[in-house]
Amino acid sequence: MAHRKKNRNVGIIGIGQTKYSSHREDVNQPEMIHEAVIAALKDAGLTMKDVDCIVHGNMELFEMVHQPDLWHTLGTGAYGKDCIRITTGGTVGATVACAADNLVASGMYDIVMAIGFEKLQEGHTTGGITNMADPLWFRHLQTGALTGTKAYDVIKEFGEERAKRASLMYRIIMDKHAGLNPNAHRAFGLEFEQIDDLIKTSPRLVGDLKLIEMCSQSDGACCVIFACEKKAKELSKKPVWVRDHITVHREEVFVMFGYDDRNPFPATHRFAAEQLYTRNGVTSPVDYFDVFEMYDPASWWAVDWLRDFFMLKGDEHLKLVENKEIMIGGKIPVNPSGGVIGSNPIGATALVRVAEAALQVRGDAGAHQIPTPVNHALASGFGGTMWTVLMMLEKELNWQEAHNG
Amino acid sequence: MSLDFDRKDCFVVDGKLALPYTYFAGRMGSKFITTLRDEKKIMGVKCPVCNKVYVPPRQTCEIDMTDIRENWVELRNTGEVTNFTVIRYDDKHLPRKAPFILALVKLDGADSPFAHILEGIVPEEVTLGMRVEAVFAKATTSTILDIDHFEPARVSKVQVSEPAPRAQEHAAVPKSKEELDQDERRKAMSKKIIITAALAGAATMKNQNPAVPYSPQEFADDAYKCWKAGAAMVHVHAREDSGMATHDHGRIKDTHDAIREKCPDLIVNMSSAVGMGKTAEQRISQIIHVKPEMASLNTNTMNFSLVDRKSGKVFIDFVFENTFTMLQDFGKAMEEAGVKPEMELYDMGGLDNWALIAKQGFFTRPFNFNFVWGVAGGQAFRPDAFMTMKHALPEGANFTTCGVGTDQFPAITMSSLAGGHMRVGLEDNIRIPTGELAKGSYEQVEWAVKIAQIAGREVATPDEARAIMGLRKR
Repeated sequence: MAHRKKNRNVGIIGIGQTKYSSHREDVNQPEMIHEAVIAALKDAGLTMKDVDCIVHGNMELFEMVHQPDLWHTLGTGAYGKDCIRITTGGTVGATVACAADNLVASGMYDIVMAIGFEKLQEGHTTGGITNMADPLWFRHLQTGALTGTKAYDVIKEFGEERAKRASLMYRIIMDKHAGLNPNAHRAFGLEFEQIDDLIKTSPRLVGDLKLIEMCSQSDGACCVIFACEKKAKELSKKPVWVRDHITVHREEVFVMFGYDDRNPFPATHRFAAEQLYTRNGVTSPVDYFDVFEMYDPASWWAVDWLRDFFMLKGDEHLKLVENKEIMIGGKIPVNPSGGVIGSNPIGATALVRVAEAALQVRGDAGAHQIPTPVNHALASGFGGTMWTVLMMLEKELNWQEAHNG
Repeated sequence: MSLDFDRKDCFVVDGKLALPYTYFAGRMGSKFITTLRDEKKIMGVKCPVCNKVYVPPRQTCEIDMTDIRENWVELRNTGEVTNFTVIRYDDKHLPRKAPFILALVKLDGADSPFAHILEGIVPEEVTLGMRVEAVFAKATTSTILDIDHFEPARVSKVQVSEPAPRAQEHAAVPKSKEELDQDERRKAMSKKIIITAALAGAATMKNQNPAVPYSPQEFADDAYKCWKAGAAMVHVHAREDSGMATHDHGRIKDTHDAIREKCPDLIVNMSSAVGMGKTAEQRISQIIHVKPEMASLNTNTMNFSLVDRKSGKVFIDFVFENTFTMLQDFGKAMEEAGVKPEMELYDMGGLDNWALIAKQGFFTRPFNFNFVWGVAGGQAFRPDAFMTMKHALPEGANFTTCGVGTDQFPAITMSSLAGGHMRVGLEDNIRIPTGELAKGSYEQVEWAVKIAQIAGREVATPDEARAIMGLRKR
């Protein structure tokens, strides 16, 4: 894939998140976003005067508001500034991060604020996704993330017992991580001893995808401030550098009526990962990265996707889960924040991955900070039928020649 | 260009989206709705940094990101149409059957327009800038429809056709019996004389006379003594504890309310000059906030300085700005808020200025004027100038007078003889005619009562003063 070096380096210098929860009756949309914006400005030690451009994103139609970026100016502070609205489905949070990175790297703006939000309680998610599809007329595109085929897939490959236990093991690790993150929406306090019970008792949504394995729908907002190298070094003690990002997507339909060997799932995750690592000289991602914030809408997908994102073979990904190597303290911690299964304010979700990965690099994640140094972090976004966005974050600016900047 | 596409066998699939949703008003929106529902009040929020008043209310000022959530202001139910559209189709989500008018209404006191239904007028007659007022719903629905609709504002304003109408011109318009009766009553009443006590002003300090009130309590105590001595009205500039004149809404309201509480009968007349260096917005917004029965309305831009009376040396040079626009905007705002303006005339030009603006027709009768003498920048008291101004007033207008320093007692004596009213108080003069420091404004009121007795005029009670000046008791 074509990839040119950046015009100049870009660092993350401010991060703000709201608490994620199912209801926020005490604030409206701009008021909720305002909380994250103020938190990010405070984190960066900036005021709105310092910000040159705002990139705003969420899911189309989910809150049933036309041109929400205009209304949200009340909360974003975009009055009189350049403001760009982006909506790319579930990946939108990652896309606003990529766009902010590009806008700063290009030299158009020195400081860009990326905002992702969702107030799912107010809208009708099914109306926004599923009702637009027409399964009989080739309009499968908008059918969204709720699918049981991945469970079928993993079970077929690794056997029912191992597959189901791996999915639940992953789920409980996420719950334990969410328990350490004060912003997380759901932290039930699950224990590994409950795996067998939950396999039997948790209601099935589709096939072997169970309620406990599925993400929530949350309200919340996330704001991340990107700055050029010069400003980042002036303004921030601990800027986190954006090394690279990649977006891969295919307009594909899910296989809706049973698995078909002749039409395997689109493998955008593996394709994106291969491209990104090749052009950055990363040969063993599990060894290279210190933490991975993955967009994991359901535990079945999460388990399977680890294999794609880390370029693993056979059952190596299952072993990472089974041996708790993805837990805080393990070889390659995944989602110390509790992940998307813990909190899913969709338009913010993928930006939260970037934000949480950056917090880990800074060492500012609090109770869910991983104990070993974090120099290299990976964040992913997922959306639509199978869109992938990956972003690499670095603690040091040492991966390239000094001509950038 | 041909639109002759081949549509043969092109099959169109019908689809339908059902997108139900809810919407959280947030805390700000919720208070807006509950206040509308429970108190029939339209509330906005004001940004203390840029002074913009938003309605419906919001948490932050979009311009400067200031947190404005605690800064509630009550708006009036009237406003003007800034734009409108006509809904000409029926749909179940629409609040009325088509056709109906949806107007953007900028409420008086607000800076942001507000969309609502406009009724009582056909679309062809709606004009931008037309005055409208809110009609509240009989039954509450806890929604924005607790304001049922807006309709054209009832016009209750008296049209003023001439700047300084002369008697014969007025005679050309026959008066109704009711108007004649009212005139008679007012004429009979006008034999009474209204004494006003200007308690503090903006410049007189305790080091000049320790009786000058600063705190709300001191104002209330002073007002009480003046009322007991015979004053029907007090004129007030609120002060900080330091003695500085203030435009702070809270302090001004506290001062006003303290006086009202101590002597509920007394008329409170507030200053719209406030003090040196205040902005137009600071000067008028406090009047609209406090809504006294009466307030001063200054009629010309002039020097208003501190000059040594003996040596002519200038201590403080200051231009008191009262542009035509301010005269118009302040006057309109007062009339719309039900605050009777007292026009301050520092010379004949001020009267002419007022008469020009009065052509717009928003001032209501009876008109009340105050001749102010002896300001460094205005004219000194002269009996012939006094009579010239009196003769130039519109027919039926009331007038009172005040004078700075030694002009005070001669001027009010003149007024009592010429059929006018009297203003005394420490704002204008810190002494009594003997040259001693006044023990308080009340002591000057006592002197004014003596003058009235000598002139054969009976002192008016507050309610009689209200009838003469056309005030509505609150």
